[in-house]
Amino acid sequence: VYAAEGGTKAPADAMGLLYDATVCIGCKACVSACSTANGLIPDTTGSGGLWQMPFDLNAQTKNIIKLYQSDDGKQSSFVKKQCMQCLDPACVSGCPFGALQKSKYGIVEWHANRCIGCRYCEISCPYDVPRFEWAKFNPRIVKCELCRHRLADGRQPACTDVCPVGAVIFGTREQLLAEAKRRIQSHPGKYYQDRVYGEYDLGGTQVLYLSHVPFAKLGLPEAGTESRAHSGSKVHEVVYKGMAIPAIVYAGIVMILRKRWKEHEEEAAHEQKRTGLPEQL
Amino acid sequence: MSRWQRDVPIYNQPLISAPFLFFGVLALIGLSFSAVRLFTGLSFTGMNDQYAWGVWKTFNVMTLTALGSGALSLGIFGWLFNQKQLHVVMRTALASSILFYATGMFALVFDVGRPWNMWNMMLPWRWNVHSALLEVAVCMSAYVAIFLLYENLPTVADTFYVKGSPERRKTMDRWIPRLRSLYPFMLGFAYLLPAMHQSSLGSLMVIAGPKVHPLWQTQMLPALYLIQAVVCGFASVLLILLIGSLAWRRALDVPIIGDLAKFMAWTSVFFVVVRWIDVLVRGVAGLAFEKSWYALLFHGENLLVLLPALLLLNGKLRRIPRVVFVTSIFTALGGLLYRFSPTTFAFRAGDPSIYFPTMPELLMCLGYIGLAVTLFILAAKLFAIMPAPLSEWYASVKFNKQIHPELRIDDHGAATDH
Repeated sequence: VYAAEGGTKAPADAMGLLYDATVCIGCKACVSACSTANGLIPDTTGSGGLWQMPFDLNAQTKNIIKLYQSDDGKQSSFVKKQCMQCLDPACVSGCPFGALQKSKYGIVEWHANRCIGCRYCEISCPYDVPRFEWAKFNPRIVKCELCRHRLADGRQPACTDVCPVGAVIFGTREQLLAEAKRRIQSHPGKYYQDRVYGEYDLGGTQVLYLSHVPFAKLGLPEAGTESRAHSGSKVHEVVYKGMAIPAIVYAGIVMILRKRWKEHEEEAAHEQKRTGLPEQL
Repeated sequence: MSRWQRDVPIYNQPLISAPFLFFGVLALIGLSFSAVRLFTGLSFTGMNDQYAWGVWKTFNVMTLTALGSGALSLGIFGWLFNQKQLHVVMRTALASSILFYATGMFALVFDVGRPWNMWNMMLPWRWNVHSALLEVAVCMSAYVAIFLLYENLPTVADTFYVKGSPERRKTMDRWIPRLRSLYPFMLGFAYLLPAMHQSSLGSLMVIAGPKVHPLWQTQMLPALYLIQAVVCGFASVLLILLIGSLAWRRALDVPIIGDLAKFMAWTSVFFVVVRWIDVLVRGVAGLAFEKSWYALLFHGENLLVLLPALLLLNGKLRRIPRVVFVTSIFTALGGLLYRFSPTTFAFRAGDPSIYFPTMPELLMCLGYIGLAVTLFILAAKLFAIMPAPLSEWYASVKFNKQIHPELRIDDHGAATDH
């Protein structure tokens, strides 16, 4: 599934988000709508229980708006953070029993009956997205699933539905990519590097970003086009391909051991005859 | 100079001793917290979404199973490289390995958030074969439950046979040859599987990419983890033999200790060489000479195994048990540090968040170690797993007859001669 250059091929039905940081006004309507749509209790700890004020994604927050400000305060930008729905997700690659899977519309879905709660997804995600319900007896992995329950009803995700300025829009990845490129083309120089983040980054994502400030400032890693799932499993994939290498190693070990074992049994029998002591394996 | 010829139970000392009680209490405290943990979430730990893996995984499993790799190290050198002198200490390695591994896997049950879903392991069609963690989970379980168990069977079977009724002996006489005939085939897996999961423990962190500091993050992590497991395997067997012999007043076999030290030294040198080549080839060697804690840690890990190795390459020095003891401690420390770092000290999560285990978390971590040590002490007294000169064997036979005249112990008419 890995294209030679420029990451991974997107699923044919890939849906996603396009977030344009130059449009976002930071109203956080999407944060609140996300909580409601996903049945999450708003996190009010940061405000002393007054209003929803998460500091980051957490077990109660699948979507957050953050503000980036340069040290001199001259440059600033909002940024929306949620699951990027990677084309080749590291979390899916690492998940031992397939609790995280890329499913319909290319959404990275979490399945409760397969998850053992190992939290390897949190280790492997390059965007630090998955969250774990640390306080729960039967903890779940909490992350944006693109409101798949709403998509099933023919509605769009809560965040795009509620956004008053169209800073985040919903569509097929193809449409969104075309729209992003159209914006870049009609406003040359407005966007950072005239580039869509997520087209190729880390293998490509279904959530795409446009920004006037460097992507790295918004917490989007500039780490090349190879997916973490790919770079992280190169050796593993070669060693365990068709279990050929383990099988050869096993055959080699057994070949040597059979010879040694024969010698050992003869020696042990001889020793027992000589000393009367049974062998100790 | 005495030579180790047979494994003999620690027969002439009481079952309950001060160390036994100490580690037993440690285990009990850890187990009590574990029992409470079954009914709570994990928020009492220091773990968080940035440092999602705490000491149970990073220390009890990823680090301590290196100390539990004695069975692998001694097996490879003893059986494959035909170092027959190691056979007499093989049982020490096998018993310690199964205990370190089993308690590590036990820790895992309390670490994962949804242990009741672990039955998925029984459904191969649910396995994600691309996952290094799946490889570790399946391979490690199979190793402990089947192959390490099989390797430790003779130790237990001996005692059962000696103390058994004629009927039991008859049954065992029927079964033992069948089990024995599998030996080379089972041992094949007993060396392949730990090689697979010890390297996969290294693979685990490769996917984390730049979250792991570049001095540690490399495609060679699996190879380095495996080599370090072999080093630590020797170190732990040496330490168990030396401490055990001291505590239980057994004579030391200097040539065997020396050989183990030699193999540990060579694998240590091999580890440091491979690590330096990797760092040079990837072009990150400069980072090792910056003024940073990472550079210090990097050199610390390497020197802790390299300097002892250089001492032990001297044939005279490794015949001094005191030297071997001290160098083994440093080697084990260096090895454990290397295995621990990629998940902790060299793991830099995105947010300025920090992880430090809480007291109950630490007590559980220590509890699982205490459990392994307690069980080892118990095993050393019940079964023949600690090596001794032949005279000790005859003495134990005599001793057992005195306190258990009903025992049907064959002393082969030789006991009185010695």
